[in-house]
Amino acid sequence: MNRKSLIDRLLQWETLLAIIFVVVVLINISLSPFYLSLQNQVNLFHLSIEKIIVALVMTLIIINAEIDLSVASIMGLAACVFAFVWDDGFTLGTAISAALLVGALAGAINGFFVAYVGLPSLVVTLAGLIAYRGLARVLVEDRSIGDFPEGFDALGQDPLFGPLTFGIILFFIGLAIMIVVLQRSGFGRKTYVVGNSIEVAEYSGVNAKRLKMILFILSGLVSAIAGILIAARLGAVRGSTAEGFELDIITMVLLGGVSIFGGSGTLTGVGLAILIILNMRNGMSLANVSGNAQTGVIGLLLILSVLVPNLLQWVQTKLNDPRTSGQT
Amino acid sequence: MFSRQISLISTLLLFSWLVTGCAFLDTDVDVRADQSEENPVVIEEISIDIATDQIDQSNENDRNKITQNVTGDEAFNAVLLPKFMGISVFDKANEGAADAARSLRQPFPAFVGPTSSNSTQGQIEILNDAVTHGYDAVLISNNGGDEISAAAQAATEAGVTVITWDSPIPSAVGESVFVAQVDFDETGLVMAEMAHNILDGRGQIAILSAGRDAANQNAWIAAMETVLINDPKYQELEIVDTAYGNDNFSISYSTAINLANNYPDLDLIMAPTTVGIQAAAQAMQDEGLCQTVKTSGLGLPDEMVPHMIEGCVPQFALWSFNDLGYLAYYLAYHLTVGNIEPEVGETFFAGRLGRFTIEEDPTREQGLRVLMGSFTIYKEQDLLWQ
Amino acid sequence: MNQFWRNIRPEQLRELSLVLIIALAVLFFGSQIENYYHPRTFNRIASSVAILAVVAAGQTLVVIMRNIDLSVGSIVGFTAYFTGRILVNSPEMSPVAAIILAMLMGGGLGVINGLIIAYGNVPAIITTLGTLAIYRAVLVNGANAESIITSALPTWLVDLPRLNAFTFGEIQIRAVVLLALIVVIIFQLAVTFLPWGRRLYAIGSNPHAAEMAGLPVKRTTVSVYAICGALCGIGGFLFLARFGTITVVAAQGMELQVVAAVVVGGVNIFGGSGSLIGALLGTILIATLEQSLLRWRVISEFWRDAVLGLLILLAVTTDSLILKNLRSWWGRSTQTDSPSPATHQAEIEVEIEEVAS
Repeated sequence: MNRKSLIDRLLQWETLLAIIFVVVVLINISLSPFYLSLQNQVNLFHLSIEKIIVALVMTLIIINAEIDLSVASIMGLAACVFAFVWDDGFTLGTAISAALLVGALAGAINGFFVAYVGLPSLVVTLAGLIAYRGLARVLVEDRSIGDFPEGFDALGQDPLFGPLTFGIILFFIGLAIMIVVLQRSGFGRKTYVVGNSIEVAEYSGVNAKRLKMILFILSGLVSAIAGILIAARLGAVRGSTAEGFELDIITMVLLGGVSIFGGSGTLTGVGLAILIILNMRNGMSLANVSGNAQTGVIGLLLILSVLVPNLLQWVQTKLNDPRTSGQT
Repeated sequence: MFSRQISLISTLLLFSWLVTGCAFLDTDVDVRADQSEENPVVIEEISIDIATDQIDQSNENDRNKITQNVTGDEAFNAVLLPKFMGISVFDKANEGAADAARSLRQPFPAFVGPTSSNSTQGQIEILNDAVTHGYDAVLISNNGGDEISAAAQAATEAGVTVITWDSPIPSAVGESVFVAQVDFDETGLVMAEMAHNILDGRGQIAILSAGRDAANQNAWIAAMETVLINDPKYQELEIVDTAYGNDNFSISYSTAINLANNYPDLDLIMAPTTVGIQAAAQAMQDEGLCQTVKTSGLGLPDEMVPHMIEGCVPQFALWSFNDLGYLAYYLAYHLTVGNIEPEVGETFFAGRLGRFTIEEDPTREQGLRVLMGSFTIYKEQDLLWQ
Repeated sequence: MNQFWRNIRPEQLRELSLVLIIALAVLFFGSQIENYYHPRTFNRIASSVAILAVVAAGQTLVVIMRNIDLSVGSIVGFTAYFTGRILVNSPEMSPVAAIILAMLMGGGLGVINGLIIAYGNVPAIITTLGTLAIYRAVLVNGANAESIITSALPTWLVDLPRLNAFTFGEIQIRAVVLLALIVVIIFQLAVTFLPWGRRLYAIGSNPHAAEMAGLPVKRTTVSVYAICGALCGIGGFLFLARFGTITVVAAQGMELQVVAAVVVGGVNIFGGSGSLIGALLGTILIATLEQSLLRWRVISEFWRDAVLGLLILLAVTTDSLILKNLRSWWGRSTQTDSPSPATHQAEIEVEIEEVAS
């Protein structure tokens, strides 16, 4: 596959996503007159803000041909560390720093085992998923810790700038930084190169191990920020906070066209996928589709988004040359 | 190029089919839930028409006015929000709420819930979307603690009536009135009394609850503990442990076995949840421990009878979830149309259940409640006799 | 002595070390927990192993072929629920028919996975992440909030978990445990001796080379997912028998336990190596730890998950570090003085040639 057709294909993917997005919006408009209201549009983001912030960094991890299943557990752990330290009488600043530190540390542990011990990230972060969640439970046990200062809760709940909450602003800042890093910086290029082939990367002098280590620390840190945000948004924390978020986050990234085998994918695609999923969930909610069916439809969309183009390409190959079997 | 265009179009087609399909699918469920009615489909259609009209009318108005538009003649759109889908007691509550809607000639309430693994977050999302949806009222069985407060408060400010049933918001922030199935202190007393009867006044009790943060279960357990400490009648009953099964059958099952294991002298498992009591009874029956470790708590009669016959569950108690949904719907309706205010002393008429009064909730620091009634206690002799 | 070491493959050493770890864990908890060595402890661990082991066997086949099946928990829940529903409606159905029904149901769901992966060219992780949600959604909508309750099920099914196959002194071997063992042994023999089984290893080590060599990769993929689904069907049947009460959340999250068991059992997540016996031992180790940690009063129950996660990491790290070194040592020693195909890569290449010819 030459360079041009690759770019062509990526463009194609994003156009597809953009059109799906428009259809979702049109259907939603027909479902409720309030759908387009500013409040609803802000709410869409606000309700899933933690997930989409983590989806940004997950994009980097998957482009790098790794995966991080432990993000939701790190979110929960960071939220619990924050609440635990705060509850112990320390200042807000100390509590937030402690949570961020624990998040970065958890990411560093993942990164160490993946980059330097050479274990598959699926296994390492699966262990992380179980262990970090376990530690969160050790900290808060069966309690629910709340009563954070007013200002802190307000940061997670109230609009900060116009109708936008702090979290939403943070997301857009993060998005801008990620776009610059991924498309304009050496770090971003290296991420793609390592994701394509770690051997090629090392031959060309990229320190792949260090890169992976940095990415996992970043993932832990961003998850911790998201964990603190969820604490602020809900105003209370417990052992199960953010449980199960990892599937939603990974679905967003994969639907965005990021290859699970690494090396390809763009933030534009992921951004569109986020828009589609958030709006679809909102629309299905407006159509009174219950939670399980919503998750099922998103799952179906995930499969179809890869399956349909593949099948049609296969059909076309068959039509053009009946002797060759389908190769994509 | 050919394939790409086709792929775009077909994906879109599939997708729109999906979305519309889901909308229909849900309507189907509503209709099916109402087979007893003579012309269920017609009723469903009428109600949808009314609902659209109402939304159209209020389209230009600001959201706050929706509530004012609703009078006895116009449609009252409510959503019944259970802890999560797939639990039979919540379906019974939905049937009750649908009954109430029928007698008030209103469209059936929507019955939407989150997945069990995403309950709190899912409830918050549905509550938020209720505003967008133009619902007049949301009836919640809160599965978390105070996490839902912020969303409930936002909905209230947007003009939606938010009431809770089955399980309240502990701080009462964001909730207008709580429909209490029974007096929470009475629950503690009933559980203590059942334990007393089963154990003949003395023995070790372990509690198997639902989620760690379930506001209703926690309140009942606290009430039971208070009764055991304060009333000399129960002084020889001892609670040795409280464990949690998350309203998941297999977790509750193994938790019950571990309780029996860890406390060799255990006499009774008290489970204030319909999932927990069934799991505990089944576990003790499977382990052959029914003669030494009894099970009791809150359970559904059709699920408990077989265990009662085996001698595993001598007594249990429950209220009618159907009535609870029915009453919650009536309360939400009267509050929304402005017949009553969420204040102490207001009274309203709830169809077949009679008259009720809003009062202060004595089991929480703040908050109002409507008390539905008392327990039905099912005893071995009664059931076998029937 | 040297000869002995040379004839043991790394996988077998891995299994031996797992047996050793399990023995150590049992000895440790035996010294810590009163009444630990009781037939009841054995039975309890065994009956939770029975369900997991069957599903883990299916997952192992998939993972050996460098794929993954995240939908197993949903398939187990689905088959448990709908087999239960059918048994409630037609209680006269024979036990064998019920098991076959569960297997067909699970196998059908597995075939859907397999077709999408093999012929739709959708990566396994995406497909099964999707079907994880889809199968569960179908279950929740199809169930209409009605649970299966024990009293409605036929008596033979309710009594099945307590049915003894045979007794060793005080230790009773339950029929369900025996069934699980038979399943694991049958498939272990199949992957060891059938060309189909060796194809799995060949494809898993290098899918591209396998395809070049003319192996029917697509057909094998579908067959493996079908078998994995059918084994989940058996798992669902056992789940139904064990608990009797099935709600729509049955077996939710089981996929993580199963993948953890497979990984601890030494099956390489990148395909090409591992055994079903290893996965069984992994399952036993995890179940033993879970059951024992619950009873060990020194640490609170909240530590259980933290310890479990740590253990998985530890198991995989030692595996990777020690076996990597051992393998290279084996490679050197066998190259110099023995023709036996001890290094795995060499063996796979031989297999590809054999199977292809």
